[in-house]
Amino acid sequence: MNDLVFGKYIPIDSEMHKLDPRAKLIGLFLMIGAVFVPKSWWVFLAIALCLAVALLMAKIGIRMIVQSFKPMIMMMIFLLVINSLTIRTGDILFTIGSFAIYKDAIFNTLFVIVRLLLMISITTLLTATTNPLDLTLGIEWLLKPLEAIRFPAHEVAMMVSIALRFIPTIIEETMRIMNAQKSRGVDFENGRLSEKISAILSLIVPLFSVAFERAYELADAMEARGYVPGAKRTRYHVLKFRFKDYLFIFICVVILAGSIASRFYL
Amino acid sequence: MPIKFKALSYIYNKDMPYAHKALDHIDLNIRENVVTAVIGETGSGKSTLVEHLNALLLPSEGSLEILDYEIRANEKQRFLKPLRKDVGLVFQFSEYQLFEETVIKDVAFGPINFGFPPQEALKRAADALKLVGVDEDHFEVSPLELSGGQKRRVAIAGIIACDPKVIVLDEPTAGLDPQGAKEIIELFIDLNKKQGKTLIIVSHDNEMVYNYCDDTVVLSKGKLVYHGPTDELFADKEKLKEFNMLEPQIVSFRNELIDKGFRLSKEARTLDKIAEEIAKQVKR
Repeated sequence: MNDLVFGKYIPIDSEMHKLDPRAKLIGLFLMIGAVFVPKSWWVFLAIALCLAVALLMAKIGIRMIVQSFKPMIMMMIFLLVINSLTIRTGDILFTIGSFAIYKDAIFNTLFVIVRLLLMISITTLLTATTNPLDLTLGIEWLLKPLEAIRFPAHEVAMMVSIALRFIPTIIEETMRIMNAQKSRGVDFENGRLSEKISAILSLIVPLFSVAFERAYELADAMEARGYVPGAKRTRYHVLKFRFKDYLFIFICVVILAGSIASRFYL
Repeated sequence: MPIKFKALSYIYNKDMPYAHKALDHIDLNIRENVVTAVIGETGSGKSTLVEHLNALLLPSEGSLEILDYEIRANEKQRFLKPLRKDVGLVFQFSEYQLFEETVIKDVAFGPINFGFPPQEALKRAADALKLVGVDEDHFEVSPLELSGGQKRRVAIAGIIACDPKVIVLDEPTAGLDPQGAKEIIELFIDLNKKQGKTLIIVSHDNEMVYNYCDDTVVLSKGKLVYHGPTDELFADKEKLKEFNMLEPQIVSFRNELIDKGFRLSKEARTLDKIAEEIAKQVKR
């Protein structure tokens, strides 16, 4: 369970960590745009280089990024198979038996994969350098304009931050219940289908009951401390844009502009 | 045959930058058929130690011998099921493991997993439930509808019904009222006295340890710092100070009585026993 890398916050101190979460969120959207626009490998390379600089600044090892790719491998293989079956244009690259694999299929797949990998790296960079609570503050700020059309920005942000807060707790709880059931002879790894179903049930049912119990307790605790949804609240931790935050957003805008321009000139 | 820890170490997140040595070269022989307490401050490695006893954790270094099984570092385990049948582990807040539709089914879950025929499993479950004091009219109720104390009893019955030879209890009475806690502990002590089950109890409650446990193991920061008779540990003020432990009230009380000139035997560890011995001396 501890191998989960995607979305994990790495509590160290770096220039990337110190940026305003709102700046990082805006940067994330700009960069995702920049990854989706271009059609040239050179632009991808340039973006990857910028990303590498950002990773260095964030003091995040390349190993962590590579690990965050692991869950995607199945999807990549799936993409490759589907594309090979459906895209029948371009030169024939090679044939398997009587089935021809076209150049366009391979290149299209590679394009999508590179885009996905870049996107995952960018997102991992954000989540690894931003404390989940700061992240929700940022999300809340971004959603603020939607309050004009009565979108409950604060409530959504609160829900997200509670969900993030409880992920480690629930993982711990899962391990504890698994250990308890293993001690009662449950085998989570081997066994027939019916045994597997009973094993999963013995985990899921207690987990739900614990989760609900925790939810009720949390709701009571929040009410006891006077939490009123939608009430006007002040913050202990006030977010402030500084020069480096503007600089960061500016760099991201430049990268996006560059990648849009590449569509016309490259 | 005692339970033998041989130079056993356990490292969490091995090979990671934030690796943490939770147990450090533990050499320990726990006697069979007696009650042994495992105590130590939070984070001293108590739970890590007992989770080795039924191979939930496997040693990073060293080995463990328990009953007829031997668990060595870096070796795949072949006998997990029989080991887990023979060594029952009751977890802290064990009520969270309940999941079946009815109380009786939940208690029979363990025995069925360990290969008892369904009829026998149900009979064992019923016996275990009666032993822990759950009424027969609760057998067909959903375990999730019971009160906290009742749930704990059902969870404990779930382990007893598997008929383990060694029972490991991790803070079995945490969160129970004093009366309920006493009943649960005495139930297990009874199993030890009548059926010779080896008991290993992880606890923070020094009074309980002093009252009921023959031997005590003290851990500190992953190292074994004391293993020996419980009464010797609590009689040794230096050691108690060194381990940052409070003297149980009953020990202070005993010492005061001895200072006043009463003669008390080693066995007089509970109020009832002390009162009995004093009554005899006063009559004479």
